[in-house]
Amino acid sequence: MASQASRKVSGYSLTRFQRAPRISRALARNPKTGLPQPPAKIITREFAPCRLEDHYHATLKDDLMYMTYTHEIGERRPPRQIRLKFDPEDPYTKYRKNPPVGGSQIGKKPAPPSTPENIVRLEKIQLHAMVKEAVANKGHLLPALMQMKALSGESFQGGGHHAVEGVQIIRGKKSVGGWVRPGIPIGVKVDLKGQAMYDFLGTLTEFVLPRLRDFPGIVLPPQSSSSNTPSTAAGVVSFGLPPTAIGFFPQIEINIDAYPKLTGMHIHFVTNATGVGAQDRARALVSGFQIPFVRR
Amino acid sequence: MLSRISSRCALVGPSFRRGLATEAATVSSELPSSSQIAPERAKKSSRPCIKTAIILNRAPVLTRTPTPFEKAYYSYQARLRRALHNPFPYDFYFKQGTLLETRFNIEERKRERLAFGPGFLEKEDISEEKRQANIAAVEQLAQQEGEGEELMPRVNQADVNLDEKSLDRSGQCNMYLIVKVTEDGKDIWRFPQGNVEKGQLLHQAAQKNLLAECGDKMDTWIVGRVPVGVYKPEPLLGSPETVIFFHKAHIMAGQVTVDGKNIKDFCWMSKYEVRNKVPRPYWESVKDILSEF
Repeated sequence: MASQASRKVSGYSLTRFQRAPRISRALARNPKTGLPQPPAKIITREFAPCRLEDHYHATLKDDLMYMTYTHEIGERRPPRQIRLKFDPEDPYTKYRKNPPVGGSQIGKKPAPPSTPENIVRLEKIQLHAMVKEAVANKGHLLPALMQMKALSGESFQGGGHHAVEGVQIIRGKKSVGGWVRPGIPIGVKVDLKGQAMYDFLGTLTEFVLPRLRDFPGIVLPPQSSSSNTPSTAAGVVSFGLPPTAIGFFPQIEINIDAYPKLTGMHIHFVTNATGVGAQDRARALVSGFQIPFVRR
Repeated sequence: MLSRISSRCALVGPSFRRGLATEAATVSSELPSSSQIAPERAKKSSRPCIKTAIILNRAPVLTRTPTPFEKAYYSYQARLRRALHNPFPYDFYFKQGTLLETRFNIEERKRERLAFGPGFLEKEDISEEKRQANIAAVEQLAQQEGEGEELMPRVNQADVNLDEKSLDRSGQCNMYLIVKVTEDGKDIWRFPQGNVEKGQLLHQAAQKNLLAECGDKMDTWIVGRVPVGVYKPEPLLGSPETVIFFHKAHIMAGQVTVDGKNIKDFCWMSKYEVRNKVPRPYWESVKDILSEF
């Protein structure tokens, strides 16, 4: 009775609404699918409070700001221009290359200044699997497709979001002797954002990682490794799960017999961190969601 | 010429760069002016007394209760999603005619009924006896699987008793530790704090002071190495200035122990309960560090 009262505010139910209006005119039909189309564009949004997102905003965000803050006074100096920039008017540079001096500067890009807007956050999680057997027979992609679908629950333009691409098929890009040819389907991937991303992360850390044998954590590179590589300046944390681990996801475990073969996959946590030390900041964030790391 | 002298002077004078643990205002007031080429040194005041205080935080352990607006919004979105979802592949997830499929069907009909009302679903085309048998079989399955395990209530004993020492109270809020001490013959509430010894780093001193005041019967973690705030109480006449740096920390396990020597009492408070306990100027310097929820 108390819950009934709390659900109602001044006589109106918060969770039940009026009966839907009677459809008096036939709805227009989609010429492609032949399905009835509502007259307005309908988009679905969050349908429940998200525990991990709340955890990020209540605890992690503050802590990450304190841990990654770098103090700077005043404006930054503009970067030193070692070589003249390309000038289309200058007949000397017009048809010449202008490569950067001192090699690639990607790994040396300075991090953006510490501001409340720049606090590291999770942008998306990408699941990605390559199926080698699919080169010979593309039917081998089907279990991997179904597996990704069950893990993510994403579908093409699901919920009316035009940017949601669902489970995508990856095609070969170039020709590798006797193996990959351009255009043949060889893998699947899916991008998770928002609520689906946090749900997946929760499942991973609560159901899968604790049940893995011999998994102390994501292995960190040795301390002697270079800190100027492009990967350290991109805020992405990646690791892989073997096929045996996929069976621990409850979505798969419930009907594991339906999959002829499970496929291992790569998981990429993509954050908004950029510049020098971005990967470390991304690791700090991801470890806040209880993904373990170890140093060998 | 003049400009050259002033630029040299600026180089010799105190640097514009400052570390994290210095105060901006004093540095800018000490900037050299071009008129004083050889400024007389002000009489050196005694060194300020540096202290560290720890804002020990218990993060929320419960999800926030949604507001009535959020509740209505989520309910609407859930119905929308249910109305628009792709067809569910029954034959992929369940073998035909199994008990699990029957259970799923019954539960799904219940959810549809809740979302769209009783008139929405068509009647099942099975006999009444069959329907009753299905329900009985599903109930039996639920008993075998040990369903009906009750969830913990969101309001626990500490909430009912308003037990300020308990870490279980107000599970939806960030809670902070404040301790009661006697300073200058008065009982005041403040965050645990202590002095920094020479050669000690601030965050190390913070950890040590926390253990010294609150006992080692708890598991804590100091967030980062830099302080998150600073407070300078009004200096007493003749005594050196005091600077208190605040560090944030999390409690993972355990509880504070009162030894009666350093601290007299402690309590765990949310942001606005802290305001009512601590002195006004102290509150002004810490209020932006504490979380609203």
